[in-house]
Amino acid sequence: MTQWNRPALGLAATLTASALALSACSADAGGGGSDDTITIGISLPLTGDFSEPGKGVQRGYEAWAEMVNADGGLLGRQVELTILDDQSSADRVVQDYEALIAQDQVDLVFGPFSTRLVVPSARVAEEYGMLFVEPAGAAAEVFDQGFENLFYAAPAIANDHYNHLAEQILALPEAERPQTVAVAAMDDPFAQGTAYGLRDKLADAGLDVLVDEVYPPNTTDFSSIAAKISDSGADVVIGGTQYQDAVNLIVALQQLDYQPRLAAFSTAPTNPEFSSAIGEQTEGILAPTGYTPEAPWPSNVEFVEHYTETHGNPPAEDEANAFTTGQVVAAAVEAVGCAEQGDCQQQLIDWLRENEVETVVGPLSWDDAGRPQSAHMIQQYVEGDIRIVLPADAAEADFLFPKPTW
Amino acid sequence: MSGSLLFQSLVLGVLLGGLYALLAAGLTLYFGVMRVVMIAHSAFLILAAYLAWWFNERTGLDPLLSLVVTVPLFFLVGVGMQRLLITRLRPATLTMMSVLLTFAIALFIEGMIGFVWSGTQRRVQLPYSGSNIEFFGANIAVVKLVAFVLAAASLGALYVLLKKSRFGQALRATIQHREAAQLVGIRTDRVAALGFGLGLATAAVGGTALALDATIYPSLHWHWVGPLMAIIVVGGLGSIPGTAIAAMVLGIGQSLLQVELGTTWAQTLFYVALFATLMLRPQGFFGGRLAQRF
Amino acid sequence: MPNASDTERPPPSPTRTAAPGPRDVKGTRQALTVARAVKLVAFVAGAVLILSFPNMAPNPYILSAGVVVASYACTATAWNFMGGFTGYISLGHAAFFGLGAYATGLLIRDLSWPPFVAWLGAGAVVVLITIPVGIAALRVRGASFVIVSIAFVLILLLVSQAWKDFTGGSNGLVVPRPFPDLLRPEHHRVFFYLFVALLAVMLLVWWVIDRSRFGAGLKAVREDEDKAQALGVPTRDYKLVAYLVSALFTGLSGGMYALWFGDLDPIFQFSILLGAYMVLMALLGGVRHLYGPLLGALIVGGALEYFKLEYGDTQLHLVATAVLLGVVVLFTPNGIIPAATDLVKRFGPQDSSIREMTAAELLERNENEARRAADE
Repeated sequence: MTQWNRPALGLAATLTASALALSACSADAGGGGSDDTITIGISLPLTGDFSEPGKGVQRGYEAWAEMVNADGGLLGRQVELTILDDQSSADRVVQDYEALIAQDQVDLVFGPFSTRLVVPSARVAEEYGMLFVEPAGAAAEVFDQGFENLFYAAPAIANDHYNHLAEQILALPEAERPQTVAVAAMDDPFAQGTAYGLRDKLADAGLDVLVDEVYPPNTTDFSSIAAKISDSGADVVIGGTQYQDAVNLIVALQQLDYQPRLAAFSTAPTNPEFSSAIGEQTEGILAPTGYTPEAPWPSNVEFVEHYTETHGNPPAEDEANAFTTGQVVAAAVEAVGCAEQGDCQQQLIDWLRENEVETVVGPLSWDDAGRPQSAHMIQQYVEGDIRIVLPADAAEADFLFPKPTW
Repeated sequence: MSGSLLFQSLVLGVLLGGLYALLAAGLTLYFGVMRVVMIAHSAFLILAAYLAWWFNERTGLDPLLSLVVTVPLFFLVGVGMQRLLITRLRPATLTMMSVLLTFAIALFIEGMIGFVWSGTQRRVQLPYSGSNIEFFGANIAVVKLVAFVLAAASLGALYVLLKKSRFGQALRATIQHREAAQLVGIRTDRVAALGFGLGLATAAVGGTALALDATIYPSLHWHWVGPLMAIIVVGGLGSIPGTAIAAMVLGIGQSLLQVELGTTWAQTLFYVALFATLMLRPQGFFGGRLAQRF
Repeated sequence: MPNASDTERPPPSPTRTAAPGPRDVKGTRQALTVARAVKLVAFVAGAVLILSFPNMAPNPYILSAGVVVASYACTATAWNFMGGFTGYISLGHAAFFGLGAYATGLLIRDLSWPPFVAWLGAGAVVVLITIPVGIAALRVRGASFVIVSIAFVLILLLVSQAWKDFTGGSNGLVVPRPFPDLLRPEHHRVFFYLFVALLAVMLLVWWVIDRSRFGAGLKAVREDEDKAQALGVPTRDYKLVAYLVSALFTGLSGGMYALWFGDLDPIFQFSILLGAYMVLMALLGGVRHLYGPLLGALIVGGALEYFKLEYGDTQLHLVATAVLLGVVVLFTPNGIIPAATDLVKRFGPQDSSIREMTAAELLERNENEARRAADE
């Protein structure tokens, strides 16, 4: 290329590239609430670290919207969801809610997934005076931030998820009771909340905590954590996990031929993909859950029927929590009789403080900080299926102990 | 730390070091022939891992078979990249601008992977992913062993190619002194292109090995960029044996430190080694005259 | 720009400016009065446009996007103190951004300093940490410098994730609001002006350095480091000072961002992508020009925000960024400002043919450019 035409060509190419980048986005955003519909803004991690549970939450919200609309809508108006992808990033989630509330002028917002993202987004919602019901921010610290607009739509906060399991372990006869514990938790308030809730209860009862590891959310190599756990030979392994990290940790433990007597992992085992991901060797793995498709609550029967019809499989916990969020907001909207930004939001908040809501996870009510006042159940893989094993009055199968080899 | 845990970590470190060695060898090759810091190397690594995963997902066959396609493909892409993109840069600003250009390529690959396969984490599901063999009390996962053997074999083949063949001689001559190589009749630009292709082919092998036993997601390549860059500086830019030694030492070091410090702190070893090298011996511990000026 | 082949082969073309020294520019100044008037008008118009943005923004979201773009403009300009003056391209300036942000947050949280005192304190912390890093990084040239700059971001990412008790780990750090009583839209407005003020300070400092002996020395490093050294420029010290100034301003931008945004997440604060944006913005606008990075930030930052609003955050914005960066590197490595001026000159009346450019003409053109730059 000769000297003289190079800058011209370069400028042209650069400008063209910029113009393409700009013009590629000329499609209409189409947001904004009209009088006929109630628009609801949501930001979810559809990609990134939390994309698996994030998509579950999305399915739950969509199922809720379909059912409400088939039923005539809210206050006689159809419901429309605007879902943005925050890529599991706190930075994005704030901008997303800001855009939804200030730019798109949505009438209501629903919460995102994962505690890490709930806190920043709840603050945005609060500063715009919006009601913020969320399906996933279960960690204790969410409720210590002084939010006055926040409600968690599930039965219990993270640290209490394993309460029934802790009772069960400590109730075992002295000779059978496990003596040692290994813990590995993602550096995530929810995952740590669940794992540390159980760890602390067992440690208080005199069990030895031999390994206590924390790893960042983007960890993919679990071989050395697994080596430590395996070397300790602990009786109980507790994983404070989301999804993929649990799969990787379990495979790494299997590679080292470590066989615990009891293995409990949060979140991941309730995911429908879980058993195929770890090669069907799931027997005896435990997980807490706030939800079971078999629950007899009237709205749950409808939800499971509708969901199974559209997706071919019953809903899991993430879907149910999202659906619950929808139910909670809908109950407040129907009771107060409004759904828009402004004073209406405070009326919705006040109503939820005072009242109990019937949901697919049972009746829910909240304390002043938005903590739900119920309890989680414990599930276990028994003969290849995940079943409720604790508490005894809700059990679908017997608690399996010690865990078979994997 | 108990003896068995120490030995287990040592074994894991050797397995990891083998993979590092292969990947860093590719990186140092580009630098040798072109003075190019190829940021996109690990993005191609992840791309190869995705291709292996996709191949397995689609056909149900063993992901190792995808090598038949990816290695020649990556070789050609490497040659093409050198001919069509890198040589277009002005020689005066080549080193800096090539960093930016390959950085852009890395972003492009990351974005396209995310666009085509979404940001969801993926993992190849193999019937033997959990199986292991015992080795003097340590457990070695079969998948890790396969990956190591693959890496070691490729590295060995690369070494033989460089040492024994005529092309290897020409390549080494080009690395050592480009002008002198030209004077003795070596077509250095052609050699450089082939060297680039070879480097990228190592990414194909490494990516496939990686896919056997790791979860992959589009932005994973940033996890590899840092350690690999540190390895080539510590080993001495342009020196393949130096790179292999540095990779092994750092891989084992990382694995041992993980036991005491946890995964995150252990990774800082690479950067500590990088800064220490620059302060004490900027040309790298095994490198020659070349590295000093970059 | 320093390069591998400098000592091994004859220099490709005499694209270097003179050794440091005051330049006599009085004659050209008079000839350029009209141009100066045009520039002044453009400057005032630009300033008015920027300052009135908060009043024109239709809603708080657009205003918050404006704050983000302003922060991009600050970081890109800060980056340019190193990249533009010395030609050392750092892909790791996000490290200083994150350091400034975390230092601000931690000084407020742990030492209860008032927000803006903590912000200035964070600037000092950044400088202190940068000194040893700078010494290590500047021992080497070109390739290794880039590697070190990337490594520095990655190491800080690891430390901020791993040192849970101090930095909050992956959960991030919450920085208290400096103005807790302000409503959100007001908060955005205040910070928009704060960012613009910071930017103005940076532009002023750039302008001063550009006309100083120090600036001339830095530019000599950019054009040919070995020759500059041979001519007695204390290249190592000059580079280090430029690096520190650049780090300081990047850190202050990061600290300001922390005060505005409130939630620090290690993955975002220490993100290589952020460093890449700075490079792209500065290169796109033109690293040798005072307003180059600002212009680049307006284009790239504006496009990014627009992209996010219209399309959400798809992976395609990475692809678009990548393509733009590739095109800039391959075709306009000097940025669009020089490319545009060249174009205007080419089709302007006074130019005859520059089809064939001799070394002398090239030198003359470069000197003119340098004078023009000095005049800005």
